[in-house]
Amino acid sequence: MRKQNRVGSRLFIGLVFLFLYLPIFLLIVFSFNAGDSSAVWKGFSLDWYVSLFQNRLIMESLYTTLLVSLLATAIATVAGTFAAIGLYSLSRRKRDALLVVNDIPMMNADIVTGVSLCLFFVAFFQGWGAFATWFNGIQGLVELPTRLTLGFTTMLLAHIAFDIPYVILNVAPKLRQMDKNLVDAAQDLGCTWMQAFWKVILPEIKPGIVSGALIAFTMSIDDFVISYFTAGSSTSTLAMRIYSMTKKRITPEVNAVSTLLFLSVLILLVANNVREIRQERRAVHQEVHEPSRLERLSLRFSQPSWQWARRAVAGAMACVFIVVVMLLTGATSSQPVVNVCSWGEYIDEDLITQFEDATGIRVNYQTAESNEALYSLLKSGGADYDVIVPSDYMISQLIEEGMLEELDYSRIPNYSLIDERFKDLPFDPENRYTVPYTWGTLGLIYNANMVEEEPDSWSALYDSRNAGNVLLINNSRDALAAALIHLGHSVNTTDEAEIRQAYELIADANRRGVFQGKVMDQVFQKMEGGNAAIAAYYAGDFLSMLDNQAEDVDLRFVIPEEGSNWFVDAMCVLKDAPHYDEAMQWIDFIASTEANLANMDYIWYASPNREALEQYPAYYQELYGEELDPELYEIMAVPADVLERCEMYTVLPPATRALYNSLWIELGV
Amino acid sequence: MSKELIRLSDCVMSYGNELVLDHIDLYINDKEFLTLLGPSGCGKTTTLRIIGGFLSPTAGDVLFDGVRINDVPPHQRAVNTVFQRYALFPHLNVFENVAFGLRIPKADESGRKVKLPEQEIHARVMEMLEVVNLKGFEKRPVSALSGGQQQRVAIARALVNRPKVLLLDEPLGALDMRLRKDMQNELKRIQQEMEITFIYVTHDQEEALAMSDTVVVMDGGRIQQIGTPEDIYNEPKNAFVADFIGESNIIDGVMRADGVVEIFNRRFQCLDKGFGKDEPVDVVIRPEDVDIVDEAAGQLRGTVTSVTFKGVHYDTIVDFYGFKWLIQTTDFCPVDSRIGIKIDPDGIHVMKKSHYSGMFGDYSSYSEEYEELDAAEPEDGEVDGSREDGHEE
Repeated sequence: MRKQNRVGSRLFIGLVFLFLYLPIFLLIVFSFNAGDSSAVWKGFSLDWYVSLFQNRLIMESLYTTLLVSLLATAIATVAGTFAAIGLYSLSRRKRDALLVVNDIPMMNADIVTGVSLCLFFVAFFQGWGAFATWFNGIQGLVELPTRLTLGFTTMLLAHIAFDIPYVILNVAPKLRQMDKNLVDAAQDLGCTWMQAFWKVILPEIKPGIVSGALIAFTMSIDDFVISYFTAGSSTSTLAMRIYSMTKKRITPEVNAVSTLLFLSVLILLVANNVREIRQERRAVHQEVHEPSRLERLSLRFSQPSWQWARRAVAGAMACVFIVVVMLLTGATSSQPVVNVCSWGEYIDEDLITQFEDATGIRVNYQTAESNEALYSLLKSGGADYDVIVPSDYMISQLIEEGMLEELDYSRIPNYSLIDERFKDLPFDPENRYTVPYTWGTLGLIYNANMVEEEPDSWSALYDSRNAGNVLLINNSRDALAAALIHLGHSVNTTDEAEIRQAYELIADANRRGVFQGKVMDQVFQKMEGGNAAIAAYYAGDFLSMLDNQAEDVDLRFVIPEEGSNWFVDAMCVLKDAPHYDEAMQWIDFIASTEANLANMDYIWYASPNREALEQYPAYYQELYGEELDPELYEIMAVPADVLERCEMYTVLPPATRALYNSLWIELGV
Repeated sequence: MSKELIRLSDCVMSYGNELVLDHIDLYINDKEFLTLLGPSGCGKTTTLRIIGGFLSPTAGDVLFDGVRINDVPPHQRAVNTVFQRYALFPHLNVFENVAFGLRIPKADESGRKVKLPEQEIHARVMEMLEVVNLKGFEKRPVSALSGGQQQRVAIARALVNRPKVLLLDEPLGALDMRLRKDMQNELKRIQQEMEITFIYVTHDQEEALAMSDTVVVMDGGRIQQIGTPEDIYNEPKNAFVADFIGESNIIDGVMRADGVVEIFNRRFQCLDKGFGKDEPVDVVIRPEDVDIVDEAAGQLRGTVTSVTFKGVHYDTIVDFYGFKWLIQTTDFCPVDSRIGIKIDPDGIHVMKKSHYSGMFGDYSSYSEEYEELDAAEPEDGEVDGSREDGHEE
């Protein structure tokens, strides 16, 4: 009986730890995967670590993270230490009350801290704007900036704010342990208070300061939520970068960077714990403690007669710190800049470097999650982008609302290379605001090994024979578009009866259990791993799935007989963009044939550049030494006759948008 | 004696409504060993901290060599302190603890900050370690020293700066009995060798009597009596001093004439004069000044209620008409036996009535009083100095 219990409890503990560590273990294992799937093992490789260090977006966010963490830690450590000392000069009642107050920010939900800091900064900026305008008006000597935005400084302030309590929390116990007479004794022996601080208080509370600083640093490196709300649109920490990388699809690059982040935080925590355990042991054995060689050395080192040595070490450390900070800030110094916001995994990042090398303009490349997310970000006024890459229907909406700036086509000579098919489109009928970036089609992706017959109609999405194996795209516009096309209606219809009819088609299939679930990003893993048979999705994404499919999976793509939706994503410049000239240079560079070829090869979406479309098969052959499968190329860049059958989205009137929303909520799934 | 060095003139210390020092007047001579003696909370540590410069009096002046120093910070006073629990710097070894004060650059005559040469520091520290018998310990971390050794380091650390005055705040409180006796002698020797003023704070009356040139007895923020140890013991000014210094039976009496005092309706010969006729007084009779005689031959007669063997003598409690006396005698008298006592005129000391009258000197609850005394030997002394949070672990 007893033995049985023990086995049971061990099993339970084992399960608990398995549950805790298995996900991290898998993450680490797949960071060494040769393929670019995080579901299918294709052999060991370090490629992802290599590409990680070549990924400039990740390295840039790593710089930002290190810089903000180092600065925040340094400032918070000084501020927190003096705050703790101040607390200890108060009466015990006041001090205890303040220590409780100090605990609250640590216990507080990060989201609340983040949102409140964000609102606070925004409110301050508004007040500042009014003040600066008034101040600039009454005098002409100093020109104050009137428009402040969230950015590195606000994030740094936020980090300092949430780091300070951790420092106080760690320093306070050391102060409590310290004999208060020590300070009196030092002053009695001739020290001023400040001398007493350096000579007596600091050495006594140093362990607390060091662990406070370590924990603050860990918290800063690790923080996502608070940074997310205070960094604004043009600064990204590593955690924010990882988050945006997972929006599209999780490549093992994410695993690799997460593994490194996990390891560095682990090392910091272990180092801190080891230090604390050593100190406790030392305290316990103090009476009979025979100092080890290292301790003898450190004891000797702390004696005043070794002051020169300590000064030398402190000086060297200060120099290193300053150099590191200078190097890190150097990466974000005041050279010309263009702020670009695009989608995740939507550019060959070598292009960014090439552009920077060629022009000396630094590209601050950020990503948004969806057209809708980008729209709300722009509306909130929290973004200071120059160039954005929205989709067709969103472009019409932005133009309608006057949020875009007209382009100076005389400075974009490469615009002439855009194929005529992609000009004069409904979203920008007079070609005043946009330069197309990519285009593509919606279609059916299916696993030939899981369907009875190969589909050539949207009806496959609603067929009971595929019950449980169909993935419904989690985007009301696309999902209803498929149904509308199948029923012979326009994807842009505003007729409520037609829309309800299309909805009923989907709802009926749902009742019959056809759908496995609503998916967006998970579509990659599900289809690649053979966990679902059919999904409506984009051609470019199909091509990258093809590269990662598991052994027994045979993915294929078809544009159904009834026709489909096609889309264009185009570069636009926001109204009042601060870097308009740089934006023109960037757009022209990206519109070039070379850039389009590189992008096509990297993201598998078709280019609107006439030359690039013609040259791509040859480009491919030269690059990979084999011929490009013409069928695949047709999927990427569909021939004109198929494109004929496809219809582009236009912006829907608000009533129809509301109908879409309510139907989508009603559907559930 | 010699010339006056420090004077506290009408010093008041109060925190809000709480009066910690109630108009203190006190002067301290050069090369004097002066002890501030009193129970916890009497204001002795506050007085010391005012002299050290850690507190500034609410009212009144502190003079040093005739110069007002109320606002001079501690690091500019020619005074050093030995703290209650030594307050050694744990991160420094013995040598560096002692050298601490010497390493602080001091302003010379022209006001420039000057550092002592390393050689001089070394010589002075070693010399001082020799004075406190700690030669050979200089490389040890202070945490590896015994209590007595730490005490010596604390003394050396203060004295190496050659202060004019050394302040000692219950320096022996944390030591055990034997060590304390040794250190008392040691301190006295050092004081005489160095020829400087010691101001010593303690609640231990034996310590005060053994070491001091002058004892200042304090209670309730007031000085109760200033005098030599002999004065304080033999001529206490009031019931508090009589009770606090040694053991005393304090009995209500009436002064019938010069040299005649009436206790329990019996007249006794005494040496005290100058009281008003029929003035009510407190009469102090030290337990060792009472002779036990046959019941019939006694000036007073009573019943033994308790006997405790103390080695040199017996503590014998005797009930006289409901008032219990402590008598220290080498004669053994069994419990419940009837005895008589005789008191010589010089064994009787008459004091004026004060607000302490009636509070002390009755041994009805004798055993409890002993427990109280044990309990009143706290390591953490008093809390008047740093008020809110003097001491915590």
